[in-house]
Amino acid sequence: MTAIVEAHALGKRYGARPALTDCTLHIPPGHVVGLVGPNGAGKSTLLKLACGLLTPTTGSINVLGGRPGAGPVQIAKVGYLAQDAPIEPALSIADHLKLGAHLNPRWDKAFAAARIEGLGLDPKQKAGKLSGGQRAQLALTIATGKHPDLLLLDEPVASLDPIARRDFLKLLMDTVAEHGTSVILSSHLISDLERVCDYLVVLASAQVRLAGEVEELTAAHRWITCTRRDADTLPAGVEVVSAKHTDRQSTFMVRSATPVPSGDWVSEPVGLEDLVLTYMERDTPAGRVAPQNLESTR
Amino acid sequence: MIWLTWRQFRFQATVTLTVLAAATIYIMTTGLKMHHAYAVDIAACPHPQIGCRFFLSFQNGYDAEQRLLEMLVLAAPALIGIFWGAPLIAAELERGSHRMLWNQSVTPNRWLAVKLAILALAALLTVGVLSLLLTWWSSPLDQRTDDRFGAMTFATRGITPLGYAAFAFALGTILGLLIRRTLPAMAVTLAVFIALQILFAAVLRPNLLPSTTATMPINATTLSQVQGIGTGSDPSGPVEIFGPGPAGAWILSATNVENSSGHEISGTQVGTCFNNQSLDLTGLGDCLAPYNLHIDYTYQPAGNYWPLQWLETGLYLAFAALLGGACFWRIRRHRD
Repeated sequence: MTAIVEAHALGKRYGARPALTDCTLHIPPGHVVGLVGPNGAGKSTLLKLACGLLTPTTGSINVLGGRPGAGPVQIAKVGYLAQDAPIEPALSIADHLKLGAHLNPRWDKAFAAARIEGLGLDPKQKAGKLSGGQRAQLALTIATGKHPDLLLLDEPVASLDPIARRDFLKLLMDTVAEHGTSVILSSHLISDLERVCDYLVVLASAQVRLAGEVEELTAAHRWITCTRRDADTLPAGVEVVSAKHTDRQSTFMVRSATPVPSGDWVSEPVGLEDLVLTYMERDTPAGRVAPQNLESTR
Repeated sequence: MIWLTWRQFRFQATVTLTVLAAATIYIMTTGLKMHHAYAVDIAACPHPQIGCRFFLSFQNGYDAEQRLLEMLVLAAPALIGIFWGAPLIAAELERGSHRMLWNQSVTPNRWLAVKLAILALAALLTVGVLSLLLTWWSSPLDQRTDDRFGAMTFATRGITPLGYAAFAFALGTILGLLIRRTLPAMAVTLAVFIALQILFAAVLRPNLLPSTTATMPINATTLSQVQGIGTGSDPSGPVEIFGPGPAGAWILSATNVENSSGHEISGTQVGTCFNNQSLDLTGLGDCLAPYNLHIDYTYQPAGNYWPLQWLETGLYLAFAALLGGACFWRIRRHRD
């Protein structure tokens, strides 16, 4: 099957400011992908490039094997929910569903109607009068109702309260399970993603810091705590991701393809949150570790 | 798409139809009354081509209405540019809802094509109906005033309003796409449209077709066909001819009365003729003929009216097509 996103040296600049630099990604299909990074890291830019609202400044991107926004067939395959959950304020909820039905060949009328009913929304209500959460739900219904193969969600839960957030994510998982839809959703909250994502892309300062399946990533990383020492005294084949030193102790996050050998250290598994934060704080992109910088990080 | 275009445009459509209906009722009722009165009066007029006393009172009686209706026809294209064109895409960009609408299995290009086509057609229809109504309504008045080339008359009769409407609509749309904000796009649309209207009336229209230059000798025959001759408030000032030239022509410029060596004459030089109160224009012509006087003037002949209408409309339509094309070019390069 074709990759959901295939990017080569993808870059986007707004004037002189780079929003995304040298981004190379290969995301296999059938995943729920978490796109995580601090505000301004380039998450929205990457999603807009994937749906065709933006065109790359450099490099290339293919989504489900096609150029984003290339034509109605490509647009039909990709559902997109923008960051602020845009709707047409003057149109009613029913109008929005009608709009979806008119404009999308694969529109799932029953699903959309059932969702609105399930949310307890009045179809006659004007979309402009909805609360932030309801608005996000409506926008998601439209993005999902077109029955895409890939759903791009930009900060979908940001405006939702904790209960709505839980329901939203549950519904998303149901949709994925039912239709086999691939999803990329962005958030700056790792806790949102931890529950639903099985693939992770970490962005920081317009660059991809880490990308891979969650299980593989957590299996490949370990915390090593030991008496104070230099990073290069650790066993060969172990890549040091971060190093932190106190007077007596050193803590390393290491990445290793094979299990870390035992020694005079304590080796512990790494949680997803720690993993993401560590990679976000690193100032070099994945795969280009400059050893001299390691001492100063973290 | 057609449904959504209608749905988004419903408010403007309702307002437009209301105004159009009100204008139609008003124009039809006053128009039928006026046409009837005119037919009665003209039947009682022995020599309509020379003139009858009722003409003046007739004109004065409908002057205010005529101005009002002309303003309506002149403003309609500008209003269409401002309230249909400028928000067409800008409102979506401003609300961010293009991010939703442009991701509904329809390319932005197709989306734009449908909206432009439907609304351009609606704009042409709206202004076409208004222009047709006014052209019919004021036909008796226009016949008497013989001022078809007047800036206001030319721009509100015939087919020119169609060109203006298409242009203003396309202008509003492209400016909305470029500026991305509705209100500034509206303001710039109005400014550019007015500027172009003035440019056309003052500079371009007189030169769209080659004008005719002619010399009119001052004698009984020629003076009997003009509206008047005389000096300004100063009796020793230069002498002017009022309303020279062939009937229905558009006088672009005329010199003052000159003698055979091309020098302007003053009122006092022909004082013997001017001071004779008993002379009508023909008599005055006979009196002035021995002085060997003439004026030079430049004009667009009456026959150029429709060619000029078509030319101006065509130019505006061409601009509109150009701007419409620019909209497609721009939306493809839209940077979110």
